[in-house]
Amino acid sequence: MAFVIKRKKSKSTGENSQVLYAKDLRKSYGGRPALRGLSFELNAGRILGFLGPNGAGKTTAIRILTTILEPDSGSFRVAGIPSTFPEKIREKIGVLPESLGFPKNITALEYLIYFSQLYKRNKSEARARSLSLLTEVGLEQRVKSLISSFSHGMRQRLGIARALVNDPKVVFLDEPTLGLDPRGQKELLEMIVKVARGRKAGVILCSHDLPEVESICDDVLILNMGKVIAKGTVKDIIGQPRDTIRIKVPSRSLAYARQHLAKFKNLFKVTSGEKNGWLIIQFSDLTRPKSKEYSSLNNNILMVLINAKIPILGLETEGGRLQDVFLNLTEGVNK
Amino acid sequence: MRNKTWFIVFRRELADLWIGGKALTLILIYTILLGIITYVMAANSELSIIPPKEMVYETLKVAISVGLFIGLIIGADSISGERERSTLESLLLTPANRKQIVIGKFLAAVSPWPAAMLIVIPYLYILAQGDEVFGQALFWGAIFGSLLAPAYTALGMFVSFWSNSNKTSMFVSLGIYLLFLLPTQLPGRAQTGDPGRFLQNVNPMQAPNFFLAKYLVNNRTLPELWTSLISPTVFLLIVIALLFLYAAPGLRIEAGKVNKFGVLFRRFKAVSVAILLLISIFTSKVLAKENSLPENGGQPLSISIDLDYKAVKAGESVFFNTIVKNNSSNESSALIVAMNIINLNAQGDVVDPEDWSPQRTQYIEKLGPGEENTLSWRVNAIFDGDYMIYIVLIPAPEGQGKTSQPIASSGIHLTATKFTRLNPGGVLPYAIGIPVILLLGTFFVYRRRRNAIDEGGGGDA
Repeated sequence: MAFVIKRKKSKSTGENSQVLYAKDLRKSYGGRPALRGLSFELNAGRILGFLGPNGAGKTTAIRILTTILEPDSGSFRVAGIPSTFPEKIREKIGVLPESLGFPKNITALEYLIYFSQLYKRNKSEARARSLSLLTEVGLEQRVKSLISSFSHGMRQRLGIARALVNDPKVVFLDEPTLGLDPRGQKELLEMIVKVARGRKAGVILCSHDLPEVESICDDVLILNMGKVIAKGTVKDIIGQPRDTIRIKVPSRSLAYARQHLAKFKNLFKVTSGEKNGWLIIQFSDLTRPKSKEYSSLNNNILMVLINAKIPILGLETEGGRLQDVFLNLTEGVNK
Repeated sequence: MRNKTWFIVFRRELADLWIGGKALTLILIYTILLGIITYVMAANSELSIIPPKEMVYETLKVAISVGLFIGLIIGADSISGERERSTLESLLLTPANRKQIVIGKFLAAVSPWPAAMLIVIPYLYILAQGDEVFGQALFWGAIFGSLLAPAYTALGMFVSFWSNSNKTSMFVSLGIYLLFLLPTQLPGRAQTGDPGRFLQNVNPMQAPNFFLAKYLVNNRTLPELWTSLISPTVFLLIVIALLFLYAAPGLRIEAGKVNKFGVLFRRFKAVSVAILLLISIFTSKVLAKENSLPENGGQPLSISIDLDYKAVKAGESVFFNTIVKNNSSNESSALIVAMNIINLNAQGDVVDPEDWSPQRTQYIEKLGPGEENTLSWRVNAIFDGDYMIYIVLIPAPEGQGKTSQPIASSGIHLTATKFTRLNPGGVLPYAIGIPVILLLGTFFVYRRRRNAIDEGGGGDA
C-alpha cells in the first residue's frame, strides 16, 4: 500500500526554494536491493522526517545523498549542484552521523577549528566561526575542555555545531536524540528547529522516535524495504481518516447495533470483535479521505447508535498519530 | 592565509599522535630497547667479543628495524583505527580531497622515524668510540631508514585501507613484517650462494642489512654495493604508488568486501612479485657478474672463500672455509692448497704463517669432473695491523719438466686492532639517561597541554 500526498507549501517559514532534489535513486548490495527508486525534494527552511523500519534503506539513502556512497542509478542535486560533483556538494551539506566519534585529547574549540579549516577557512576565521557556533549550541563555557570530558548530550550538541561549521544548505541528522534524557532531547529538538527556521537550511531528520518527528517535522517520507511508501506533509499524513474504529456496546446490543449501521455498508464494514461487546468498524475506501461524507462519518455512526438508544461503553480509534500511520504502513515488514 | 588540506590534516594527525601519546609511548619503548642493547654490547666489548664497527652496525640495524616497525604499526592504525573509532566519516564528509587526507595522515605517521634516528645518535656515538664508522653509520642509516620507514608506513596504511578493524590490519601488517624479516634470520650458509643472494637482493629489509654489514664492518665500497639500494628504493616507489594512486582516491567509510579485497590483494601480489622478480634478476646478475669472476673465470679449477673482511682484536682467531671446484669434464691432478698472509702496513711484508695458522698448506688428492672439496682454515691474529690473507691452488704438474698454472683465491682483508676496553659503566648513563630525558620531555609536553585546557568533568555545561 502506498499513498502520496501533494505537499503543501509551508506557511510557517514562507520558504520554498528547493535545496535537495533526488530522482529515482537505486542501490543494491551484492544483488540485494537496498534502495528502489527514491525520489523526493526538500525546500529551504523545512524539516523532513526520514522514517522507516530497520533495514528500510534510510542509512543507504543518507550516505548516497551525503556523497559517501555512489548510487547504482538515479541522480540528485544539492543546492543546485548535481551529484556528479561530490566535493562541491560536501561544501553545502552538514551531517551528524548516527555513530559520531571524536578524537581523544582535543578540545571542543580545536575540533571545530580543525573542521572549519577543512572548509577552506583561514585560522582566524575558523576560530571566530567556531566560537560563535559553540555559543549557539550552548557550549560557550566549555570551549577549552577536552571532548573526552563531555557528556553524551554535549557531544551531540558539538556534533551539530560541527555539522553547521560550513553554513550548510542541507543538514542531515541521523538519530540526533538517541540516548539523550528528556530535557536533552527537548533542547536538541529546539536547536534543530532553529537551524531550519533561523538558517533557512533544509533539514533531514532520521529518527525512530515518531512523536519527536511529529512535533518538529514539516514533511515526512516513509521508506519500507527500499521503497517510498508514503510522503507528504506531517499534517496530511496523519490527517488520514482513521482506518478502523472500535465501539464498545453491551454484548446483548451487538446485533441490534449492526442492524442500525447496515445503511452505511457502502462506506464501511462492521464486524464483531474478538473481544466481547466490541464493534469493529473498518472503513472500506481510503482513497476518498477528504470527502465531506468521511469527515463527519464518526459522528454519524455515533449519532445512529445514540438515537437507537444503544449504550456506548467505549470508543477507540486506530490511526490519528504518526506512529499509527507508520505501524499501519510498515505492517508485516519484520514478520 | 589558508593552509593546504594535507597540511591541516598532517598537523592534526601529528598532534593526535604525539600529544595523544601513541607515538611517544612507542618511541619511549624503542629508547629503552636501545639502552638495553647498547649496554649489552658494551658488556660484550668488555669481554672483547664485538669490535666497535660491529656494535655500531648491530645497533643501527635494530634502530632501523624498530623504527620502521613503529611506522608500520602507526600506518596500520591510521585508517582502520579511525573506522573503529567512528571518526573517519566526519572527515570524509568534508570537501577535503581524499588523496590530500591520505598524504596528511601518511606524513604524520612517518614522523616517528626522524625522532628514532635522532635518538640513536648518542648510542652510536658512544659505541663507535671515536671510529669513523659513526659518521658512516649516521649517513647510511638515515638513507636506508628514510627509504624503509616511509615504505613500511605506506604498507601499513595500504593494509589499513581494506580493514574495518584495527586487529585485522595490525595482524596482517605484522605478518608482512615477519615475512620480510624471516629471511634475515636464516642461518649464514642459507644466505650465501645464488638463492641466498637472490633473497638478499629482493628483500627490501635484507638488502640494507647486507649493505650496512659490508660497508660499515667489512670496509667494502659503494661501487661494490650500490645494487643493495635498488630493492628498498623500488619497494618504496611501489608501495607509495599503490597508496597514493590506487588506494587514496577510493578512501571510503567501510573497508571493501573480503572477495574484492582478495582479488585486489592477489593482483597486488602478482604485480609486486613480478616487479620484484625482475629487479632481483637484474641485481643478481649484476652481483653475480661482480662476484663470480674470482670463483670460476672459465678456468678448469676454481677456488672460493666464504669470507672477505674481518675485524678482530689482536689475539683473536678467524675461521673460514675454501671451496675448490673442478669445473672441467676431466679428472684433476693432485692439488696443493697454500695459505699466504701479507702485511699491508709494512710495504707488503710476508707474514710467516708459522705462528699464525695451524694449516699452512693442505692437500687434495684428486677431484672428479664437477666435484668440489671444502677445506677449513684458522688464522690467529698475533699482532695488530691490516693483513691480506689469500689461498693459492697449485695443481701438481703432469710430470718432470712440466709446470702448472697456480690459481689465487680472492683475499680476506683482516684488520687486527689493539685491545680496547669500552667501559659498560660509561655506557650506563646513556642507556638510562636518554629514556629519562625523553620521559621528562613527555611530562613537560603534557603539563603544558594540561595548562592550556580546562579539565572539566562530565555533565552539561
